[in-house]
Amino acid sequence: MLTRRSFFILGGPVALAAALFGPAGLRGALAHHGWRWAEDGNFELTGIIETVQLGNPHGVLTVDAEGEVWTVEVGQPWRNEQAGLTDEMLAVGREVTISGARSADHSEKLVKAERVIIDGKVYNLYPDRN
Amino acid sequence: MLADALAALQNLEPVAALRASRWVYPLVNTAHIAGIALLFGAIAPLDLRLLGAWRGVPLHLLARVLQPVAAAGLALAVTAGLLLFAVSATKYATTPVFLVKLALLAAAVVNAVLLRRHPDWVLARVPGLAAEPGPRLKAAAALSLVLWLGVILCGRFIAYLA
Repeated sequence: MLTRRSFFILGGPVALAAALFGPAGLRGALAHHGWRWAEDGNFELTGIIETVQLGNPHGVLTVDAEGEVWTVEVGQPWRNEQAGLTDEMLAVGREVTISGARSADHSEKLVKAERVIIDGKVYNLYPDRN
Repeated sequence: MLADALAALQNLEPVAALRASRWVYPLVNTAHIAGIALLFGAIAPLDLRLLGAWRGVPLHLLARVLQPVAAAGLALAVTAGLLLFAVSATKYATTPVFLVKLALLAAAVVNAVLLRRHPDWVLARVPGLAAEPGPRLKAAAALSLVLWLGVILCGRFIAYLA
């Protein structure tokens, strides 16, 4: 009663999990949390904010840098606040310079911001990182 | 239609407030983890007992403590989890690892309900009878451990893959 039905229910998800966690599923997909997915060193990007989605679990901007659209991860509310960065500063149409860690997969136009520079003022999201 | 409903959920005022909050969101996160800790912390010893550990401890006594703790943990984890989901509902609903997590969660709950209703389990819980669990209960216990660990694994990976 129990085993046969359960295994039937299980088949799909387990196969899907194997596909996801298999080497192919993980490659290039480890984004967002932590830094392992990103390159060391600083990558700089200047552009105009196109879309903004701030808040938990973390904020995401898209920035148009000379026609290339980049996804920029900023902090969650408390980190932005600690850096002195308000939601109003990250408004659509604003020019920003982002300094941070770029995704190690260069086909992804993705950067995790360590510092945000607006009107020449530096807002440091990760004071302990260079 | 589902997409509209998820977008509406995400835009509810309290959900937007949670998304923008400094301290409430981490508290909800804490409640989610505390729920998981209670659930898995209760389920694992119960499953291990069914698999043959601590034979000297009567199963009905262990179950009397651990079953309600596991159920309460599940309720807490699900409640906090729904709030965390609502904050970014449209994104999570299209994140494969989140859907795998839900499928594993459903399977784990079905497995637990079936186990509870199994005659071997009912017998094993009669005080003084001291019936040791049969192969079906053992299989269900092993399956339970694998499923709940799978749920936790997928949950943790949402942060990395979403």
